[in-house]
Amino acid sequence: MITPEIRLDEVSKFYGEVLGVNRVTLRIPPGITSLVGPNGSGKTTLMNLITGLVHPDRGTIEVRGISPRNPEQLMRFTGYATQYDAAPRGATGYEFVSAGLLLYGYSSEEARRMAWKALERVSLTDAANRKVAAYSKGMRQRVRLAQAIAHDPEVLVLDEPLNGLDPLVRAETIALFREFANRGRHVVLSSHVLQEVDVISDQVILIANGMIIAEGQIRGVRDEMHEHPSQFLIRCRDASRIASILFEMDHVTEIKLHEDRLGMLVWTRSRQEFSRALTRIAGNGSPIDSVMAADENVDALYEYLIGGGR
Amino acid sequence: MINNSFRLRQVWMIARLQLRRVFFARRSLWVYLLAFFPAIIFIGHGIEVKIKRERWGGHAVTTPAKLDSVREGDTEEEVIAKAGTPITDQRFRRRDEEEPERRYMRYYDGTRQVNLWFRSGLLVQKSTSNLIDFEEDRQVYAGVFQYFYLRLAIFFGCLGIFMNLFRGEMMDKTLHFWMLTPVRREVLLAGKYLAGLIAAVVIFTGGALFCFAAMLWPQETAEVQAFWRDGGASHAFWYAAAAALASLGYGSVFLAAGLLVRNPIIPAAVLLLWEGINGFLPAVLQKLSVLYYVQSLCPVPAPMDSDTPALARMLLAPAEPAPAATAVLGLLAVTALVLWFASRAVTRLEINYSTD
Ligand SMILES: Nc1ncnc2c1ncn2[C@@H]1O[C@H](COP(=O)(O)OP(=O)(O)OP(=O)(O)O)[C@@H](O)[C@H]1O
Ligand SMILES: [Mg+2]
Repeated sequence: MITPEIRLDEVSKFYGEVLGVNRVTLRIPPGITSLVGPNGSGKTTLMNLITGLVHPDRGTIEVRGISPRNPEQLMRFTGYATQYDAAPRGATGYEFVSAGLLLYGYSSEEARRMAWKALERVSLTDAANRKVAAYSKGMRQRVRLAQAIAHDPEVLVLDEPLNGLDPLVRAETIALFREFANRGRHVVLSSHVLQEVDVISDQVILIANGMIIAEGQIRGVRDEMHEHPSQFLIRCRDASRIASILFEMDHVTEIKLHEDRLGMLVWTRSRQEFSRALTRIAGNGSPIDSVMAADENVDALYEYLIGGGR
Repeated sequence: MINNSFRLRQVWMIARLQLRRVFFARRSLWVYLLAFFPAIIFIGHGIEVKIKRERWGGHAVTTPAKLDSVREGDTEEEVIAKAGTPITDQRFRRRDEEEPERRYMRYYDGTRQVNLWFRSGLLVQKSTSNLIDFEEDRQVYAGVFQYFYLRLAIFFGCLGIFMNLFRGEMMDKTLHFWMLTPVRREVLLAGKYLAGLIAAVVIFTGGALFCFAAMLWPQETAEVQAFWRDGGASHAFWYAAAAALASLGYGSVFLAAGLLVRNPIIPAAVLLLWEGINGFLPAVLQKLSVLYYVQSLCPVPAPMDSDTPALARMLLAPAEPAPAATAVLGLLAVTALVLWFASRAVTRLEINYSTD
């Protein structure tokens, strides 16, 4: 019985002097796993390592018991939609998706049927006979997805698959991932926006500078985020008074008043309690012009996780 | 499911998918030009001969016997009495000198042209040349084949075709599609090599044979028939075989080079140098050459004028030619060795698009 797991043990990859990933040890179970990290953090490198497009300098990798150095077996059950935005010159969407299928041993009739099915699943049948080179960014994204799922893989690796998709298609695509995951398959995807993937993932892996800095079920990562003080920027007329009310509260750790006395920066440990407090204050007749989360991006979290919090 | 016959089918499928790219790549346009350029020259030569034959043949053709009877010292009138009206007749006199009038006449007997120069009404010089010389043209073809095809066209053509199989797709950022299919890297290598080989063989044996046909085209029918009776087919066969084997050998070398280096100039220069100094190398190293073997297969030794500089002579002259069977086996052995290296390299190959 093969392990239905993707295992990386002490995997390092260098591009000459440049660090790709460093001593990564991971166990990825079936389900949706998101690799999240800023540009250049090593997401693509990690995915290329898993699919054998690059080889590790140190460490070992196994995908459901198969080494990525064995593409003949690995690619039978693995599909990879890369970040590389190029299609063979002159190929139509249909040709692009179907060409490779013959190499799996499917008859041309089977290959035709499977290619159309894949194109259908990404709603690209209308454009299937047009040249990929003439596709829009989102269409190219989708045709790459169709190509990756055409042979119905057990392990689906997708590099920034939600980039450039409109909300409707994005929802359809996410539903497709969910369906794959529900059948006990691996869906490994990457993103540099945590908010984009946290709700859809069973597991999130945060990566920065080629190292895994946090991993776990999304609740775990969220909890860490909750303990990490969030920053809010408040604009209001009566700043000093509101600041004194807020400062009484347990969850508020720090307040910085603006010099113009018309605004402040607040650090809180609980977003929920903070927003409840603000509602109360506003309800008591103190006008608040605006509230803005000052760290509504993943970088603040990295900073916290890498730097050990502020 | 996965066995060797399935792998062979994969090789063929990859070759088929790749072939279209190789044949119709805009990059390979110059390869066709290289392969068919010499034929243009031979065709030009043929057209010239045909035109002359047509024009002169329309006039009264003088019999060879009559032309042979013309001697130096004959007067203009005697010549015209013996041989009739010439096809060309020109008189000229230099203005500045008080020289006697000169006259030039040309006769044609159907194959030879006879040139006669007169001074003061007397024949002073007679020269005979064939309108077209089969022997000479075959020598020229031998030279074109060995110096142009083997050293230049097939060499650089294979560089263009085979180095692009991997390197070109790396530059186009499409190589990963192949690497994400369920095929062994060696199978991918074999499929791509096969595609390159089919293209190179079709283009270069096609070009060389077409050029050979262009060389034969204006020749005297009788001579061509005699040539075919007397082993002409084996000449054509060995030229075709040499072109195909050169594609096989150079192809493997440039396929391997395309896996190992990014810049095509470097392997080209190294290989040109290696083949160039082949004649000076110890016997063992001489055997590690493509040119050495394919030159041994050429049916007609390349012409070399006595005034060729000694250095060029050493560079161009093949080492002691090998017997045909040895040459073919030797070439296959060199190719197998190079392909083995390439198969080692292809398993280590990584996608590396960003640094181009
Ligand atoms: N082929 C390469 N040659 C040299 N350095 C590379 C190469 N590929 C990646 N790197 C380096 O490795 C590091 C990780 O890159 P990687 O592409 O894996 O990051 P990423 O997380 O996918 O980034 P992005 O969000 O921009 O796609 C970066 O510092 C990058 O510069
Ligand atoms: Mg990336």
